Amino acid sequence: MTRMRVLVTGMGGELGTRVAQLLEASTDVDEIAGVDFVPPRRRLRRAEFHRIDPKNRERLVAFVQDYAPTVIAHFGVYEPAARMGPAAAAERTELCTVAALSAAARAGSLEYVVARSGLEVYGRRVGVASVPDEAVPPAPGSPYGETLLRVEAMAAGMGRRQGIPVGALRYAPIVGSHVPSPLGRLLRLPAVPVSAFSDPPFSLLHPADAAEAMVSAIALRVDGPLNIVGPGAASPWQAVRLGGRVPVPVAPPLWGWASRVVELAGAAIAPHVVELLRYGRTGSGGRAAEVLGMSDVRPTQQVLQDLYEWAQVVPLVGGAEAVA
Amino acid sequence: MSPLRSADFGIDSDCIGAPESPSSSLRRRIGGRFPIDQFGFDPMLADLVTPLMRAVVRVEVEGAERIPAVGPAVLVANRGLGVWEPTALGVAVGRALDRRLRVVGAPDVPFLGGLVRRLGAVHSSPEDLGACLRAGHLVAVPLAPTWLGRGAGSPPLDLCAAMMGFTVFPVAVIPGGPLGTPILPWKVRIGPRIALDDSYAPGDPLGAAELGEVLRQAVEGMLAGEVPADPQQTTAGRAVRP
Repeated sequence: MTRMRVLVTGMGGELGTRVAQLLEASTDVDEIAGVDFVPPRRRLRRAEFHRIDPKNRERLVAFVQDYAPTVIAHFGVYEPAARMGPAAAAERTELCTVAALSAAARAGSLEYVVARSGLEVYGRRVGVASVPDEAVPPAPGSPYGETLLRVEAMAAGMGRRQGIPVGALRYAPIVGSHVPSPLGRLLRLPAVPVSAFSDPPFSLLHPADAAEAMVSAIALRVDGPLNIVGPGAASPWQAVRLGGRVPVPVAPPLWGWASRVVELAGAAIAPHVVELLRYGRTGSGGRAAEVLGMSDVRPTQQVLQDLYEWAQVVPLVGGAEAVA
Repeated sequence: MSPLRSADFGIDSDCIGAPESPSSSLRRRIGGRFPIDQFGFDPMLADLVTPLMRAVVRVEVEGAERIPAVGPAVLVANRGLGVWEPTALGVAVGRALDRRLRVVGAPDVPFLGGLVRRLGAVHSSPEDLGACLRAGHLVAVPLAPTWLGRGAGSPPLDLCAAMMGFTVFPVAVIPGGPLGTPILPWKVRIGPRIALDDSYAPGDPLGAAELGEVLRQAVEGMLAGEVPADPQQTTAGRAVRP
């Protein structure tokens, strides 16, 4: 029987680290290796981490070809305004996807690929489903949505050529205490821009559920796209008030200005976040519940409450003096 | 966990609850402590407006015992050009079963679309209808509107395809007064369950067309005063025992 060697791209991110930890606990996984341009966020016992920036294409290709993974958990998908600007995020995502997938295919041991994607691939426009399932044709309305769809297409194309199954997990926006998410950061500002003329529903996903879905997809070799969405939703006005923040209504022509002001306040927002605030973002997670057997995904309101409770950390007064 | 800290803030998304006092409601609204679902439905707001709806729209219901008390089901009903028929149906279902009704047909326009979604309207797409049913809701699907609300309009075939495999009932909503005026109570007549035979795969276009036609005929018959047969269950083209 082939030994299961898993490559986790983007292992330095919150999700990549969580997935590596879950894989370490699995007896079915023989080896785990990860790459990213930043180190993992927690201690890993069994997984090997290699600090390789996707911009260093030759090094990344050489490592992946040498490692010859049988499974790729592709988290090398970087959200704009999370840890880098939109252009750098799109560039790193593309470089990481192309290098890791093509090198793994050339190594010849690849059996399965599952890529991180998001509900951003559906976009939002008049006349289409507001709670899309996987049968709805993707039509992104933001550069990040287009990047995610390109990642899915590249992975699916590689899967067809290699004759292997390829999964794509279309996550609802993930926020949490340790997730560098532009939406999470925005919701924790004292005053938050919201749409003046709409208050559409959006779903949120807890990072632990996102990681668990990825590990289940690997175990079950899920083929094709899956929406990973928990029950319930929130709306921008309701979410902002739940956190005790002040909603600031923004008319459609002023979103460009609002984005700049918010960036000065310390929470850069990208077009996909503005799209969520104006048109909402949800999806039907029925197929994932059936296929992955995930019946206890945390509801959006719980994820939101966790996000706000974490923000109420009380700093230790005089801590600096004590250390000195 | 306190109801105000739980994910649904202590408000049932399927059963109508008693409205809270104005001061409590206001505090909750200001504090953001109310649930919203993926379709934009706001059960707390719906509970607040339900007494007003019941006061304005009076209804008499026949056959409500056929609707399941829990789980997904579709009510396919006639409608005119306004919103009276879906409103009367929502009031009827609420009175008879205390269940919330989601109505397919939210307009995709700013502000108005968002407002009616808060009260239970769902976007008119097969994907949204399917998601709503999979979530276990009771959903009303209107036939095409008819002039002055006379007769049953044509069935929406894409929506009929999405409801295959779920429990479906034809419903006639009959105005109490001439031209739908609220002089007398509306009559809401719920017919026996309609099911396709098992030979059709879910989403089969021919099956959807047959289901739609049987539903249209059933609604037309009930609007004309026919008393629906019971306890038999009607399938496309023939009647069988449940």
